[in-house]
Amino acid sequence: MSRSTATRTLTFSQAIRAALEEEMERDDRVFVWGEDVAVYGGIYGATAGLLERFGDGRVIDTPISETMIVGAAVGAAVTGLRPVAELQSSGYFGIAMDELYHKVARWRYMHGGVFTVPLVIRLPEGAKGAGPEHDVSPEALFLSASGAYVVIPSDPADALGLLKSSIRDDNPVLFFEHAGLYAHRGEVPGGDHLVPLGKAAIKREGGDVTVIAWSRMVGESLRAAEQLATEGIDVEVVDPRGLRPLDLDTILGSVARTGRVVIAHEAPKTGGAGGEMAAVIAEEALEYLESPIIRVASADVPIPQSRHLQQFLIPTASSVAEAIRRLD
Amino acid sequence: MAAIEPAKLLELYESMVTMKLWDQTALRLLQEGRVLAGYHSGRGQEAIPAGGVAPLRRDDYLMYAHRGFGYTIAKGMSMAAMFGDLMANTAGATGGLGAGIPHFADPELGILGQGGTLGSCFPIATGAAFSAKYRGTDQVVVCFFGDGTANRGAFHESANAASAWKLPVVWICENNGYAVSVPASRAIAGRIVDRAIGYGMPGVRIDGMDVTEVYQTASRAVDRARAGEGPTLIEAMCHRFRGHYEGDPQAYRTGEEVERLTALDPIVTAAGRLVAEGIATERQLAELETAVQRKVDEAVEEAASAPMPGPERLFEGLYV
Repeated sequence: MSRSTATRTLTFSQAIRAALEEEMERDDRVFVWGEDVAVYGGIYGATAGLLERFGDGRVIDTPISETMIVGAAVGAAVTGLRPVAELQSSGYFGIAMDELYHKVARWRYMHGGVFTVPLVIRLPEGAKGAGPEHDVSPEALFLSASGAYVVIPSDPADALGLLKSSIRDDNPVLFFEHAGLYAHRGEVPGGDHLVPLGKAAIKREGGDVTVIAWSRMVGESLRAAEQLATEGIDVEVVDPRGLRPLDLDTILGSVARTGRVVIAHEAPKTGGAGGEMAAVIAEEALEYLESPIIRVASADVPIPQSRHLQQFLIPTASSVAEAIRRLD
Repeated sequence: MAAIEPAKLLELYESMVTMKLWDQTALRLLQEGRVLAGYHSGRGQEAIPAGGVAPLRRDDYLMYAHRGFGYTIAKGMSMAAMFGDLMANTAGATGGLGAGIPHFADPELGILGQGGTLGSCFPIATGAAFSAKYRGTDQVVVCFFGDGTANRGAFHESANAASAWKLPVVWICENNGYAVSVPASRAIAGRIVDRAIGYGMPGVRIDGMDVTEVYQTASRAVDRARAGEGPTLIEAMCHRFRGHYEGDPQAYRTGEEVERLTALDPIVTAAGRLVAEGIATERQLAELETAVQRKVDEAVEEAASAPMPGPERLFEGLYV
């Protein structure tokens, strides 16, 4: 077994790779396919070495055919396999949107529940200097795709544990990975590390304000919290680890304790999942709020390719800190 | 080509008759206001699902098209379940979700369902064929689609991948000359069958009104797929006798054209051949039809006795 029993330090990308390797080792129905995932090892290295380890029957370079990659994963899933398909960029969602939205999410339901669709679509997202089509964070588009889970890790340990759980789950999972996180290192527990789906993580406890953040914005929010601690503001950072299933108990519990909410995500504010999150909090926990909810997000413009311009657009720790200082 | 056993010819005939009577009965239920769904009659095109599904084993996979319910009847699906889906009651395979423009399936019979967005069948068929190969079975997938659907980009991606990977899939295009209202002459460049050349697979254009020809061609393609030699594209030329959907005013074609086409009934042709070749008498064929109608009626009766679902059905089966 390649699995380590001791805590180890992995990059986010290595954690994804470890999850794939461990699950492929455990279950021979699990296979990986996508563009450049085999010989190249994935453009982010997340599938490096899997071809050598498992062979070209289970680690498959596909044609540049995103509609087929996602749709055929559904066909494989309903006939007994457990595909892990990679869309090289989540920006390609539109090429496979019928498959993602109608087939992945609804094939089971619309056929009366006679199938399970146990698959994972890995979707690298987020700003990385690749331009308006590649740098999107489109997870909120799938808020209405009931039937599919939306899972988003924010650090290597969660990347490992959430991906392993996603592969084992019988529901289809859209698994978003921020491309800017792949090189981040973090401690990863040893053994068979599973993180349950639909369980939010309180990444930092605090009593004054709840920051709800996911993906890259979790790290930014934790940095903001450290900064504000020196100013006497005690920040709690809650990572829902995705949008569905949504752990409302943990989110609302934190809101009830702090009475103040900042929601941080990288996607543009309008149409971002922060709107839905704010609506739920307003419906369920308005009486606890001592201050209006603030959303920290990108402005409503396409993401420019220039990294120089991206720095003015993409929210950071200081955007979160500024928002928190604005609260009453 | 090897001659087909008389018993198989009779089976193919019975299969077509079942489809026709099922269709007639569905149309009657529709008129009576008992169908909670749209319906695309399959009248006239029975030879293709009958001849195309007959070579399949129980464990082979089927992606069916939306014209008539012939494909699933031929694969052995419960007629009562299909009527239940038309009536959107709990006898249906979908348990009351309703599936008149069908979304019913039966995993035990390899019936993998259908997408309402035309062409979404192609990638799913590709994935099922990949799955059969991955698991080391010799299962085959047959994917039916119309000439209109042939123009979806999903066909390109799927036909390419399936052929590059030599997957066990048979693509059967029913070319009835119309994509809803648009004639093939205005929507299709070249011939659909010739597209096979571009994907490096055999392409065969056949008379889709002749059940024997469909059966023989499909059998060869299925055998080829099962032997690991990859996909085949079959273009079956055919005619639909009714509108695209019930209520279609058919302003895009003349009544004279419809009259001329309906004279080419594949079931009448097959019956004539069975009688001429001494395989059955006209009386035997009439008896067969009576017996099939009885089965269809029983299925309707069974389906009609089921209750409608309650609101709780909305939330059942979305997640595992």
